[in-house]
Amino acid sequence: MLEIKHIRKSFGRNEVLKDVSLNVKKGEVVVILGPSGSGKTTLLRCLNFLEKADSGEITIGNKNVVIQNAGRKDILDLRRKTGFVFQNYNLFANKTALENIMEGLVTARKVPKKDARNIAEETLKWVGLHDKADYYPSQLSGGQQQRVGIARAVALNPEVILFDEPTSALDPELVGEILELIKKVATKGITMIVVTHEMTFAQDVADKVIFMDGGVVVEEGAPKEIFYRPKEERTKQFLAKFIIPDNMYYI
Amino acid sequence: MGDLFSADRLVEEFPKLIPYLIENLKVLLWATVFGVILGLLITGVRMKKIPILYQITVVYISFMRGTPMLVQLLLIYYGLPAFIDPILGTNISREWPPILFAYTTFILNQGAFLSSIFYGAIKGVPSGQFEAGLSVGMTKLQTFRRIIAPMAVRIALPPFGSDFVGVFHNASLVYVIGVVDIMGRAKSIGSATGHVLEAYVIVALLFIIFSMGARALFGFVGNKLDYANIKVR
Repeated sequence: MLEIKHIRKSFGRNEVLKDVSLNVKKGEVVVILGPSGSGKTTLLRCLNFLEKADSGEITIGNKNVVIQNAGRKDILDLRRKTGFVFQNYNLFANKTALENIMEGLVTARKVPKKDARNIAEETLKWVGLHDKADYYPSQLSGGQQQRVGIARAVALNPEVILFDEPTSALDPELVGEILELIKKVATKGITMIVVTHEMTFAQDVADKVIFMDGGVVVEEGAPKEIFYRPKEERTKQFLAKFIIPDNMYYI
Repeated sequence: MGDLFSADRLVEEFPKLIPYLIENLKVLLWATVFGVILGLLITGVRMKKIPILYQITVVYISFMRGTPMLVQLLLIYYGLPAFIDPILGTNISREWPPILFAYTTFILNQGAFLSSIFYGAIKGVPSGQFEAGLSVGMTKLQTFRRIIAPMAVRIALPPFGSDFVGVFHNASLVYVIGVVDIMGRAKSIGSATGHVLEAYVIVALLFIIFSMGARALFGFVGNKLDYANIKVR
């Protein structure tokens, strides 16, 4: 369904992605873990050309794009097969919650306005914000904004939704409800790639966990494999920081 | 104060001066309309970084922002004929009325100032807004038109308002190249009657009234456009 081959990306002399390849099946939820600077966000952004990789190949659904030959039309086609949920929501500040969801449908996909409004209302209801349709982003809380952000991506009915640390900017008490919503997206059977630091979420929801460090995929496998039987030393080190040893409590 | 100031003369001169304000308003109108067009063109050149044109705009903007309006006015008034007449075989120093030189100067000046305001406003829209537009499948142009531009307008409005008032104030300089505007008329009334103060007081009052009116108008429009303040039904 989604396949990337040999993606490389450098910022100046700093090589952020060193030959990354990945395969995602339809309906699969893939969680990418890794320390800051490991390239996970860059990888996600390369997938819909928010960042243009230097070389490699991306296939989403029936669309195959070789990075070096990617034309404007290719990039647009690929973007229209993906939805993106941003860390800091990035809702259109000059549009209401409803308009935020409608915008991509009407302007990019040429869905008639009336139909787009129906879809938007439906999706807004689905994320539990039907009463906030006419609110502007600045009038919504962080959690509500991210709900709209998720609704905006889901409403487009893309082949894959990319989540870039969707809960990192939220108050701790709001993280749970957004993770619940992302789980709900997963149950719809939508293919998802999620970059996150939420380990429990990764264990609960992921079909596959990918551990990245230093611009390469260090290890990938089922959550049970990665969390309980990691093969690579680097993965063990990383996960150890998230598991508090019992004896810490007994001084 | 002796006979330096009299309220009677103030009232008497008021209607004599008012019609000449039209000249200043004309300068303001031309400077704004064509300055906006020129400013948008320059902004386009700066955004796209079009080679050669881009370097020209950099020099041009730093010149326009780095020299006083009065100097620009005199340079254009004396310099433009010296530059254009030999090339085109015209004789604009005689054929053009002074106000055309005033228009030219103010349009060139505003092109530079407004392009700085526009460029800054576009750059002031968070880059995430642009990325969000692309992420829902819009083209760059669609994103610019539907998301970036409306937000940039909101950002540009307050500095545009200040600039607008500033241009009107600067338009009081055009009398030095022989335009009979409100300042020119005030000066001639002064020399005819031997009493200068009243006319200048009137000029000051008119400018204050205009400035306050313009500021109020821009404040009103700004509030209307402010999506953060919009009351939800």
